[in-house]
Amino acid sequence: MDGRVIVITSGKGGVGKTTTNANIGTALAKEGKKVVMIDTDLGLRNLDLLLGLENRIVYTIVDVVEERCKLKQALVKDKKNPNLCLLAAAQTRDKTAVTEEQLKDICEQLKKDFDFILVDCPAGIEQGFQNAVAGASEAIVVTTPEMSAVRDADRIIGLLEAKEEIKSYKLLLNRVRPNLIKSNDMMSVDDVVEILSADLIGIIPEDTGIITSTNKGEPIVNDEKSLAGKAYKNVARRIMGEDVPFLNLEEDNSLVGKMKKFFSGLMGKEK
Amino acid sequence: MKEIFTGIYNKVIGFFKQTEPEANAKDIACNRLRVVLMQDRTNLTPELMERMRKELVELLSKYVEMDKEALELNLEQDGDQMALMLSIPVIRAKDAEEIEETLEKENAEKEDSDQSSEETATESDNSETEKQTNENTDEDIKTSKCEDYDEECAECNECVVSDDVECEIKKKKKKSKEKIEDRN
Repeated sequence: MDGRVIVITSGKGGVGKTTTNANIGTALAKEGKKVVMIDTDLGLRNLDLLLGLENRIVYTIVDVVEERCKLKQALVKDKKNPNLCLLAAAQTRDKTAVTEEQLKDICEQLKKDFDFILVDCPAGIEQGFQNAVAGASEAIVVTTPEMSAVRDADRIIGLLEAKEEIKSYKLLLNRVRPNLIKSNDMMSVDDVVEILSADLIGIIPEDTGIITSTNKGEPIVNDEKSLAGKAYKNVARRIMGEDVPFLNLEEDNSLVGKMKKFFSGLMGKEK
Repeated sequence: MKEIFTGIYNKVIGFFKQTEPEANAKDIACNRLRVVLMQDRTNLTPELMERMRKELVELLSKYVEMDKEALELNLEQDGDQMALMLSIPVIRAKDAEEIEETLEKENAEKEDSDQSSEETATESDNSETEKQTNENTDEDIKTSKCEDYDEECAECNECVVSDDVECEIKKKKKKSKEKIEDRN
């Protein structure tokens, strides 16, 4: 097996890197792929919480690097899906505990046993970022339609372009609020794509369900009704090479819109 | 009574002011981001851009008459390509003669500046001489021209500085005048 190593990064913190990682990973595993997630945010680990695996961690990536355990021993299996594994970050150490070379080596080893290796990158552009990117050949840049997040994403894209190992990068626009876009209070998806001139791999709507899912330690893709969950599932399918159209987030909730929908339903036109 | 009326007036005005079209937050964000990203992506600071703009105005105004204030210089992104966009509101294109003239003038100026740095100034243009003298003299010295001022005077220039000084040319002219009078 020759797995794909994808780093999920953003520059700015709090835009949803870890949430994206947990959801894409879970969605890919649900599609039957073997997935391992690496949390490289040493000292500030959170991916374990989002997956509800915080109590199962015995060894971390630092233990692997310092040879206190074998790589396979450190992989924590997901509660529901045996296809999904987590290599947790150490909470007590800092970014210097693992080097670029060591991470590269770990990725190379994992490639043999997994279809996808998702690397959760820490915020910032310092050593933590350099480490996370070291082993990857693809990248997903997470951003939101806010100025600071877009600016940081632009910086990250610049850094990724300078890296020879990164063959391609895609943009994932998170926390999109259709209502604000409609009232011209927020940058639209097209605006952000145009400004960053990058290919889009997903549009995730703002969803309060993310909060509850994080609280439960259950990625939102497991919730069949959630729009954000659906959007993440589509991202996973696009990563696998499927051509999936983007969700229409701008549901027309006006009276005219509802009537249009009703009549088109009567006429038998599937929307 | 007056307060009630002013209250009502303010409310009415306020109502109409609210309905005025404003630049929306989205467009403001987009425009601010574009500018900021251009600066992030290049090393051109706003000061350098302004300098470039000024130099371009200087250069281009030799050939066209334009609205100098309205000249716009922006970096723009078109896909992967970065472009310098220059928008020049041209009032009138200069004809060949004018261009020739300005270029000649410039050449002369260049020579002037070269020579004045060597302190062997031989100005040919009266107005220019005047300007230079103005710059070089104190305010209290008279700068009016004497009666006999003519092209030759430009060479010595002393009488322009002060009426009290009799320059060589002035003396010559006086002598020749006296001679003519003597003859008569």
